[in-house]
Amino acid sequence: MKRQVPLVLCFVFGIVMIFTQFSPHSFSQGIYEEVISWALIIGPFALVLATITLIQTHTARIRRRTEHWQYSLVVFAGLIIMVLIGIPYGPQNSIFEWLYNNVQLPMDATMFSLLAFFIASAAYRAFRARTFEASLLLITALIVMMGNVPVGDLLSNDTASKAREWILDNPNLSARRGIILGVSLGVISQSIRIILGIERSYLGGGD
Amino acid sequence: MDRRFVFILVALAVIIPMLLSINLPVSVSEPTQKFFDYVEALPAGSTIMIAFDYGPSSLAELNPMAKALLKQCFDRDIRVIAITLIVDAPTLASALIQEVATEKGAVEGEDYVFLGFRPGAVQVILGMGTDIANVYDTDYNGTAIGEIPMMQNVTNYDQIDLLVDFASSDTVESWIIYANVRYNQKIAAGVTGVIIAQMFPYLQTGQLVGLLSGILGAAEYENLVGAPDKGMQWINVESFVHLLIVGLVIIGNITYLIHRAREE
Repeated sequence: MKRQVPLVLCFVFGIVMIFTQFSPHSFSQGIYEEVISWALIIGPFALVLATITLIQTHTARIRRRTEHWQYSLVVFAGLIIMVLIGIPYGPQNSIFEWLYNNVQLPMDATMFSLLAFFIASAAYRAFRARTFEASLLLITALIVMMGNVPVGDLLSNDTASKAREWILDNPNLSARRGIILGVSLGVISQSIRIILGIERSYLGGGD
Repeated sequence: MDRRFVFILVALAVIIPMLLSINLPVSVSEPTQKFFDYVEALPAGSTIMIAFDYGPSSLAELNPMAKALLKQCFDRDIRVIAITLIVDAPTLASALIQEVATEKGAVEGEDYVFLGFRPGAVQVILGMGTDIANVYDTDYNGTAIGEIPMMQNVTNYDQIDLLVDFASSDTVESWIIYANVRYNQKIAAGVTGVIIAQMFPYLQTGQLVGLLSGILGAAEYENLVGAPDKGMQWINVESFVHLLIVGLVIIGNITYLIHRAREE
């Protein structure tokens, strides 16, 4: 029963939702709207599951005293403080906003900003014209980089931005479209496998 | 070259242009021009939905373009419904909207409304196709949707003239798949530089009516709106960082080729 019920639910809802996409009848659209409302209610439970997983993971790290376990205490401190302020007083509370603007925002922005330094260093060390393919990638990257900033146009008399647009519009677009088509076909085949109960890994257990 | 030396060079390439306030001319790319033209063509009283789907890490790239669009909307009496699918975004989105609204004298509830965040991105997008009030029963301040004047005649995407997604992740694709394909909602996007390449197929098919690309897109849009701000300032800084990286890559390759020639 533990496996059959989810398989039956998945099959029934999968088939019904596919059917609603092809039938404009009010009954069919009524079912569609009802199921979307259910999904809106079920969706937030993902947040609850994520929070439980986070607590379990970091509790285990603290209990086992794994490397850098002290940072897990910081995770709990952040979680508890934001929840204690956010839930009763809402996100517009002045302390909540202060913590966001003066702790989360600068930390998040700083972490991302550091990438500029590492990318510059990595580009200098790793971007080498070792093979024909690597040389092609290198030249393309340099053109796109220069086309992405006004100084590139200034130095090349507007050629850099035009070359960048051509690269994005032609080779990039063709490759991306191929990837999108491949991924879409994969998603369709995987969805059919799930609806028909052939793919069951989402139930757990590994089969 | 020691990587600490590279770090110092990057820091200098950021700091010096900021101090010198250099202004390089910015030309406007076709996707940005299309975006601007589409908004300009909307009559006064139209409604735009803006999704602030980015967190603090992408604020530097996406806030300037969102600010320029908000200025354009308020100047042209276009009403703005703002939402977010990202849990990190409500505070920064709310602050930005209030800043521009105060500057332009826009009235909350009449010219704009911020509905905030709801979990379950795909379900939120699909749910609003049926009835926005089913997803957002109140706005960010807790005011019931039914009591907000500008929401009186807005039920679902049928009353939204354009949806703009400012995004740092794959939310644009979700909007296209679920709001454009299913509900025929017109969509434009402003995205970070790192994901710009994956947006071009949607631009070519017309599923995106316009596209802003990172800080360059922000600078271009500020240029078009006639409100130079952070985008124009930062694209000049980025110019020097890009020049530095290109220079480093060239030096690295020259060194590599010399080493290889010696070994052979």
